[in-house]
Amino acid sequence: MTEIKIEMKSISKIFETDDVETHALKDVDIVIRAGEYVSIAGPSGCGKSTLLSLLGLLDMSSSGSYSIEGVDVSALSLDDAAAIRNEKIGFVFQSFNLIDELSVFDNVALPLQYKKELPTDEFIKERVETCLKMVEMSHRADHKPNQLSGGQQQRIAIARALVADPAILLVDEPTGNLDSQSGDTVMAVLAELNKNGTTICMVTHDARYADMANIQLRLLDGQIVKDEPLMVAV
Amino acid sequence: MRKLILRHNQAWASLKKKPGFILTVLLTMGITLGALLCVVTLNYLLLVEPLPYPEQDRLFVAEHKLIGPEKETKAIAFTYPGLVHLYKSKEAFEKASIMAYSQDVIVSHPSQPLVNTAYVTPELHQILASPMAMGRMFEASEAMDTNNPVAMLSYNTWKKEFSGSADILEQKINLSGISYRIIGVLAENFVEAELDGIGRETQVWMPWDYNQTGERGRQSFGNISGTLNFLGQLKEGVSQSQAQQLLSPLVSDRWQEGVIEMDFFKGWSVVMLVTPVKEVMLGDSESIAVMLLAGVMGLVLIACANISNLFMARTAEKQRQMAIQAAIGATKKHLFQAMLAETGLLMFMSIILALVLAQIGFFVMQEHFEQILPRVNELSFNPITFGSAVLVTVVFALFFAKLSTWMVDYRSLNTTLQSSGKGSGLQVSKKVRQVLIASQVALATVLVFANFSLLKDAVKTINAPIGFTTTNISTLVLNFASTDFPTQEERLPIMAEIKEKLEALPQVESISQSPSPLDGWGVRALTDVVSKERYTPFLNGVSHTYFGMIKQPLVQGDNFTLVDRQDRNNVMIVNQSFAKQLKADGDVIGMKISVGGPDPFKIIGIVKDIAIPNATPTGSDNADAGVPRVYTPNGLGSQRFMVKVKPGMSVSREQLGKLLSDVDSRYSVYSFDAADDILTKSLFVEITTAVTTAVLASLVFLLAGIGLYGILSYGTQLRRFELGARMAIGATRKHLVSMIISDNTKAVLIGFVGSVVLFALAYIGLSEYIQPFLNWQVLPMIVATIVLIMLVTLFACYWPLRQYINKPAIFSLRGSD
Repeated sequence: MTEIKIEMKSISKIFETDDVETHALKDVDIVIRAGEYVSIAGPSGCGKSTLLSLLGLLDMSSSGSYSIEGVDVSALSLDDAAAIRNEKIGFVFQSFNLIDELSVFDNVALPLQYKKELPTDEFIKERVETCLKMVEMSHRADHKPNQLSGGQQQRIAIARALVADPAILLVDEPTGNLDSQSGDTVMAVLAELNKNGTTICMVTHDARYADMANIQLRLLDGQIVKDEPLMVAV
Repeated sequence: MRKLILRHNQAWASLKKKPGFILTVLLTMGITLGALLCVVTLNYLLLVEPLPYPEQDRLFVAEHKLIGPEKETKAIAFTYPGLVHLYKSKEAFEKASIMAYSQDVIVSHPSQPLVNTAYVTPELHQILASPMAMGRMFEASEAMDTNNPVAMLSYNTWKKEFSGSADILEQKINLSGISYRIIGVLAENFVEAELDGIGRETQVWMPWDYNQTGERGRQSFGNISGTLNFLGQLKEGVSQSQAQQLLSPLVSDRWQEGVIEMDFFKGWSVVMLVTPVKEVMLGDSESIAVMLLAGVMGLVLIACANISNLFMARTAEKQRQMAIQAAIGATKKHLFQAMLAETGLLMFMSIILALVLAQIGFFVMQEHFEQILPRVNELSFNPITFGSAVLVTVVFALFFAKLSTWMVDYRSLNTTLQSSGKGSGLQVSKKVRQVLIASQVALATVLVFANFSLLKDAVKTINAPIGFTTTNISTLVLNFASTDFPTQEERLPIMAEIKEKLEALPQVESISQSPSPLDGWGVRALTDVVSKERYTPFLNGVSHTYFGMIKQPLVQGDNFTLVDRQDRNNVMIVNQSFAKQLKADGDVIGMKISVGGPDPFKIIGIVKDIAIPNATPTGSDNADAGVPRVYTPNGLGSQRFMVKVKPGMSVSREQLGKLLSDVDSRYSVYSFDAADDILTKSLFVEITTAVTTAVLASLVFLLAGIGLYGILSYGTQLRRFELGARMAIGATRKHLVSMIISDNTKAVLIGFVGSVVLFALAYIGLSEYIQPFLNWQVLPMIVATIVLIMLVTLFACYWPLRQYINKPAIFSLRGSD
């Protein structure tokens, strides 16, 4: 049996505002194994982003259990959650979220600087260069993000997500802010990464890109209604 | 006009939606501009406004400066005959007047109030052209040697003590047993030339002949008095230096004749100082006024930086609204006018608040700073206040409007609409934010350090141990209200009975027939019988129970005895400072000291030094030097008592008045004050300085804190998505707090460097005021200031950040797409 990277059981998320409770997710169960490429699709407001936030420990669930590589991460403190994000999770945002004042190299190196023990300069250099090479952006290492196109920025964001060698890459609408050509390039990069063993979980509303994943989840009103071939809808 | 009204209506409608913004601008600018208007008016009054006297350029005060054998200044004070000689000589002055200041009790008044008195020659009020509320001023019939008992009242005394009685000119008042006919009341707007101390208002004016100098003092060139003054109008064409040259030999020669038989004054001389009356009246208040102005300007600059930041943030917020206005035809000028309408309204409201606060400031200064700053009673709104108000309103309204529109790129406003407000949009640039932080830190550091330095000195004086107790002790001075002075033999049984009756009061624990250590000191010329060395220590006559009551320790030798007082023995107790002056090892018991008479005094004891606030040795300004003091036994006829009451009990002035009149109706209470009150009064300047500087330092901290918070909060808000992204890739709270602090460190350090530059500039411009504060003792103040500013900055870094870092990362990322 392939190693389980992520396991969520009966995860629910309730938002409370002015005495009104909104159930964003209801009893969601997910298992993602090493090397899988999972896509989460669904209409606007179905809970895709909320699910990705919980998967990425950007937010905490209201109930249920969650483990990453067998470690229970359901009730971590903010700082412990940050440490797990740093070690185990790579994030790719729709809006890239690169830091304009830093060079491409420094943007990619950033997660390594948040490690409990700061790696050596040589290690950082080598690792950043490797990741930039993976996304074919080595030649732009000294540029600033605002000197790059949207597609290039997204590839830098992918390199940044990979640099700390995470257990899983969480990708949120990676083509949402890109034209179709740049979108295709980014998706090709992700497909290549998966082919080389990177576990990926991607949220997208684009059916064409969702189809590129080997497992497709579909969310509706906070519940998984379709999974292929490994997931179990509740 | 309609356009103007419309613009202001729109501006008000827009502002109304932001009550927090209005309140912040109103309070910050209102408070600081209120302080500015108050201090500008004060500075104008002290530095520019002429005194309300005719030909004031020719009004000068002459002072008598005694120079010791080594050319050192011994004292600046007149001898009585020297002053009269100068007055009668008419040299250099066209008109001149002499004055003796004192206090006395109006015994004919039902409440027998103690009032400030001045005995003057008629020329004074003629020179000052004193306005009268009623009656007349002194004239030739009240000149020197006419012995005409008349009096003038101040306006306040007439109102307060005589209820503004319309028939006041038909009344008489009795002081020291002399009945004076009231001939005039000075007008409310009369401004006294305060030569005997800032804030001292003369309540009753009497002719010179009735001054309280005794017959011996009137003849002696060996006695000086700080209450004697000379004011005159120089002759046309005579300059200040010419007057000094003319008067010095005239006065010195006469003084040398007068002291020819006194060995003590061998080698001494007299120099006349002639100083413009305005300079004497203002004293060193000019420096206080300038320092206050500098401090308030700093506050205004901090406030200005704060409000600039707020306006820039508001412009960023209004970007879309301006884009719509531009799209429908508003030009750049229209946008500026719209912004000016907002800033103008806010500044108008602020200046109204500022004027109200300035009026309160005038009142506070008149109530509490009367003894520190001259002419504060004249403080009121004048054209300078209103002119300054209009000027600052216009300047700040234009500045803030210009600043706000300066950051708008008119051409790019269209893009704002096309992108439907997406993207980063208009922002206060990082550079501007860093400049604002640096300027806040620089100004706050300078102001806090300056306030701390003043506060430290004031607190040091307030907390300095005085070396004796004042607890439950009051001083009672008797007034003799008759010209029929009793002989020594008659007085002894009267004083004995008064003492006995005072001791019998149930509230009283003990009585000492002595002056208080805070009162009654005089400078005495003493000579060491053996070495012939001359000294001028402070001297007081005290009873044998004096040291015990105030708990001033006797460190060597013996105390006085009752017999010493009864027999008027020539014995003396000195303090440690004087003992060390006499002999380096301080072992002076048995030494013989001459006080001028045929029989010298023998030193029988040494007491510990006491430290009366602000007392310095004669001829020295060194507050840290020990003050030499000498004590001799006083006679049993002394009219000064210390009354120690039992804990929790008190005796009233009325009760004492009745006790005295029961013994002898010619006696009444001259003064009865708690020693604690006298001590607090003597520390008035220090207490006022401490309170003022503490309030100013707190205000600076508050404003700087608000300003730094505003700037850093805005900066953090702009970096919200960046913070979210960093959190998403594993940054902990510690990482983010460190990052924000480190990002702002450069600006803070530049601010500290800026404060050094400001200090250097201030030193170049105001070195005479700053020099006395520059010593190694300021080092802890510098460290304390830097630490406090850093704490404020750290707080301002952390507080806006906590809303992001103490929540899950998704909170910061929400909306980033």
